[in-house]
Amino acid sequence: MKRLKAPALRTNGETKKKRLKAPALRTNKAQLYFWIYLFLLPCVFIFLAFYLMPIVTVVVTSFCQWDGFNAPKFDGLANYTKMFQNKIFYQSLWNLLGWAFIAATLHVGFGILMAFIFREKPKGWRFTQVVFMIPNVISVAAWSMIYKYFFRNDIGMLNSIIRIFDPDFACDWFFQKPEAFWAITLTWLFYAVIVTLLVQGDLMAIPEQLHEAATLDGASKWQQIMRIDLPLCRNAIGTGVICSITARIAMYEAIYLTTNGAGKTMNLPVMLVRAIQDGKYGVANAYGVVMLVLGLLTLLIVNKLFRMDDPVY
Amino acid sequence: MKLVKKISVKTIMYFLLIFTVVVSVFPILWVIMSSFKTNGEIMSGPFVLPSQINFDAYRYLFENYDFLTYTLNSIYVSFVPTILALVIYTAAAYVIAKYKFPGKILFYALFTMTLLVPAHSRTQPIFSLIIDLDLYNTREGLALVYLSTGMAMSMFILKATFQAIPDELSEAATIDGASFVQVFTRINMPLAKNGLVSAGVLMLLANWNEFYYANLLVTSSQNRTLPVVTILFNSMFSYNYTNTFAALTVVVLPGILFYALAQKQVQNSIAASGIKG
Repeated sequence: MKRLKAPALRTNGETKKKRLKAPALRTNKAQLYFWIYLFLLPCVFIFLAFYLMPIVTVVVTSFCQWDGFNAPKFDGLANYTKMFQNKIFYQSLWNLLGWAFIAATLHVGFGILMAFIFREKPKGWRFTQVVFMIPNVISVAAWSMIYKYFFRNDIGMLNSIIRIFDPDFACDWFFQKPEAFWAITLTWLFYAVIVTLLVQGDLMAIPEQLHEAATLDGASKWQQIMRIDLPLCRNAIGTGVICSITARIAMYEAIYLTTNGAGKTMNLPVMLVRAIQDGKYGVANAYGVVMLVLGLLTLLIVNKLFRMDDPVY
Repeated sequence: MKLVKKISVKTIMYFLLIFTVVVSVFPILWVIMSSFKTNGEIMSGPFVLPSQINFDAYRYLFENYDFLTYTLNSIYVSFVPTILALVIYTAAAYVIAKYKFPGKILFYALFTMTLLVPAHSRTQPIFSLIIDLDLYNTREGLALVYLSTGMAMSMFILKATFQAIPDELSEAATIDGASFVQVFTRINMPLAKNGLVSAGVLMLLANWNEFYYANLLVTSSQNRTLPVVTILFNSMFSYNYTNTFAALTVVVLPGILFYALAQKQVQNSIAASGIKG
């Protein structure tokens, strides 16, 4: 966000100065404001109805006992204390921690790696990049279902391939305890095209002279990547980390459609939906608040860690 | 020594390229291929090629299940909110980009901060809102929810687009007597075409693929969208895998075709969506 904000403010200042010179725009100020606010109105309405009101409701009623029919009754921290006594809740947090860690390291790492490979322009890189996008343009629901069948023990592809090497191999990926976590991980692990696109954008912005100077000074390709390219891509990498962790907080289809939380793979959105279906609206919103807080924490921590507010050049 | 290193780096590079292609398309190709196999062929292992190519499974789907309705529903909830949202967000982004007025920075901050709200934390209030509006289990209710999802992204893309258009054009038009609305529709809108397409493609894809709210807010068969149909596969075609795979193909293929046709646009949009941070 910061990256866009700084230049934007500058252009505004310039346009303002210019506009004051044009006499036509100075007249009819009231009429101008009428049109401006009229143009904003629908957007403000959507913001109020679908963001501000819901968030206020979520936060307030997370402190209430509420079944959705009767009026919410203030209940203090009861929803939260119950939540923190719930073993499944800890399991969800633990899973999220694991997935967030894998997302920030392996997933983002793979995305960065592919960006650097694409920069070398090996044969077929363009085709690979085009194809790399496909899992991101089809619905996560369908993708999860595809993986559900792909990992099946009887008709699935994965186990059939493994059985070429180990004929006795058998594993019901989504129905066994430690494997289910990894099976869910594999449904998104390698689809890091957004990270790749982000890093490619930042790589393109690095002035060619930097590399030329480094080469003259005798720096190897590897040193250039570590000392020049990666530090200068830290905004893209940080953004990629934020995107991929927040996607893990909101991960729903990949679990709901495969294990539905069985085999120690529960997470917060699945718990939230169940609470709504059970008519425990207050509890559901307490989960909502936890997700909200985790999202903001991710943003703040990653922002600090990657010094994303500091100018890169 | 140097040559060995160079060759091994090249090998790793090509291995990763092939690996990426395989993980990205192989599962889909496997599903498409399986939709042409008989149930017995599927059961006897994934390496058996289909003995014949016929579209019986697809014909069966469209004749016996409402796949046409599901497809039309998906088209409705994809296009209607995208077009409405584009109008709404374009108007807001335009005045924020081009004019100075009290509250401008606040409005922009509020609209873009919606990006920080995790998608599912607003579930209960939205669920209740749709029920209160009597729109539960309707396509209109779902479309209404989709209207709100692209707010922050569209703001980023559209504001940047309008800012890139020189102000002199608007000023000249104003001096020539063009009204506020005319300056917007005749001068700025046509020049913002690329941004509009980027934001539109992004919302269209998101709406087309949306599962969470579609599953939560729609229960009856005649209002169901394609992504939600996937969860019914198990019960719908009890262990008829051919039909299951054909149905998955029907759900997946439109997105891929759309991408194939508008590849550059989709890539630009997704790249633009990343600049948010």
